[in-house]
Amino acid sequence: MTRARSIGMGIVHLWPIALLLLSWDAWVVLNGYTSTVAPRPWFVIADVFTGFADYVPSILYTLGMALGGLVGGTLIGFVGAVLVWWSAALSGVVTPAALIIRSVPITALIPIIARIVGYGDPAVLASTMLICFFPAFVFTLSGLAAIPEAGRDLFTVLGANKLQVLSRLGVLYALPNLMVSVRITAPSAVLAAMLAEFLMGTSGLGALFSQARSYMDMERSWGTALVATVVSVLVFVGAQLMERRVESRLT
Amino acid sequence: MSSTATLTPMETKPAEHATRTAVSVNRADKIFTLSRGKKLQALAEVDLEVREGEFVAIIGPSGCGKSTVLRLAAGLDRPTNGTVEIFGAAPHELATQHRLGVAFQEHALLPWASVRSNIALPYKVAGRKVDDARVDGLIELVGLKGFEKARPKQLSGGMRQRVSIARALALSPDLLLLDEPFGALDAVTRRRMNAELARIWGEEKITTILVTHDVDEALILADRVVVMTGRPGRVRTIKNVDFPRPRDAATTRSPEFHELVDELTSLLDANDGDAA
Ligand SMILES: Nc1ncnc2c1ncn2[C@@H]1O[C@H](COP(=O)(O)OP(=O)(O)OP(=O)(O)O)[C@@H](O)[C@H]1O
Ligand SMILES: [Mg+2]
Repeated sequence: MTRARSIGMGIVHLWPIALLLLSWDAWVVLNGYTSTVAPRPWFVIADVFTGFADYVPSILYTLGMALGGLVGGTLIGFVGAVLVWWSAALSGVVTPAALIIRSVPITALIPIIARIVGYGDPAVLASTMLICFFPAFVFTLSGLAAIPEAGRDLFTVLGANKLQVLSRLGVLYALPNLMVSVRITAPSAVLAAMLAEFLMGTSGLGALFSQARSYMDMERSWGTALVATVVSVLVFVGAQLMERRVESRLT
Repeated sequence: MSSTATLTPMETKPAEHATRTAVSVNRADKIFTLSRGKKLQALAEVDLEVREGEFVAIIGPSGCGKSTVLRLAAGLDRPTNGTVEIFGAAPHELATQHRLGVAFQEHALLPWASVRSNIALPYKVAGRKVDDARVDGLIELVGLKGFEKARPKQLSGGMRQRVSIARALALSPDLLLLDEPFGALDAVTRRRMNAELARIWGEEKITTILVTHDVDEALILADRVVVMTGRPGRVRTIKNVDFPRPRDAATTRSPEFHELVDELTSLLDANDGDAA
């Protein structure tokens, strides 16, 4: 019942999209734009449905890269935070490195990443991970810092070592926080994957968009944007459901 | 074991136990430093000796430092002055050897773990195989049969306290520290838990320090009752309790019992003016 309700709430929360479609159409019609300037939403949607088979490989690719990067980046951020928590010496290395990497704009980093890890798939994945690791790092750290005093005392009197405190206490207190970070970064992961695909132009929704634009296929390129939005929202909703499950399991 | 000089080891062993000191607190002060350098003296020159196998209850007004004494004994805090020794060693060593059982005032259960896993936690941390029979026995003992799979948030405050007591007992510790373990229980459940605790203590002779607000409870369970003064906490008196065990309803109804309850209660009352 609660699941049905949360899906219901998810649908209700989609109203901005309906509003977007309507104002988009009004904007095109009122300005009298031709389809090469801006297509009407209904033609774009028609292209998505009739040419869906053409979209599928790109959707799967982008989704795979986004999820892969999300999981990978989150893991890296998590491990980084655990290292910082574990030792002050490591903290002095990891924290500044994380901050510096985070401060450089991702668009500027993508060509450099491509140079280092290789053009194409590895670069797309690495860029996505780069977007996701920092929130995971920060959220995990705050979760580890928030282990209740009573829990620490308990583990002290039980004679637990540091690894046990981490694995039986710290990780479980950090996990709900980590899930918040996953929810927050999930849409950015899709965005980062698409941006890298767009710049690299090999495969995925980003590449599809860039190709459609170069062929002046406006329905297709706007359709790609539309599909990307839907994918992004779905990833977000999925992450939110997961976050709630973890939250209710652990607290 | 290799010694052949001992004639009757069965008799010498308890005698040796009775003289061994389990807990020794010597002139312990505890001064907490608060924000902006302000200081708060929680304990002043506390002396306390607990023999192995003895059951000692600590009573005293709220905020007089009872929990602080337990924290010193558990090795969670160090005294500002004075010394604390547990079985002749630094307090934290007992914990490292997994020989310490503590039931905290705020019970400190793991929210994600079931009643069962919470009670089995000491085994896992100690790297020992979980003794399922003992865990079952403890669950039954604290009256939580049927709640094995429940998570802490599904339990009442009193039930959580009982889980925490069972967890403290899990490894049959050499020292048991109980901080108002029955505070959230109704009078009837409380007396039943008192009786169960007395029974376990009778069987396992675990050296126990119990902090309580309930004078009757202290007299039902303890060999000695330590009465503390208001802040800064000092040991005001130590009373020996000689009622024969098991101390059942007949004991608690006896005039001697009532006399002692009255005496200790008045000692607690007298504390009010004592605080600085
Ligand atoms: N970590 C701490 N930092 C500062 N002050 C503390 C700390 N722990 C305890 N105190 C102070 O020390 C005094 C004694 O506290 P303690 O918890 O030992 O009292 P208590 O006798 O257990 O009280 P109660 O019966 O209400 O549980 C209190 O005034 C408390 O404010
Ligand atoms: Mg207390």
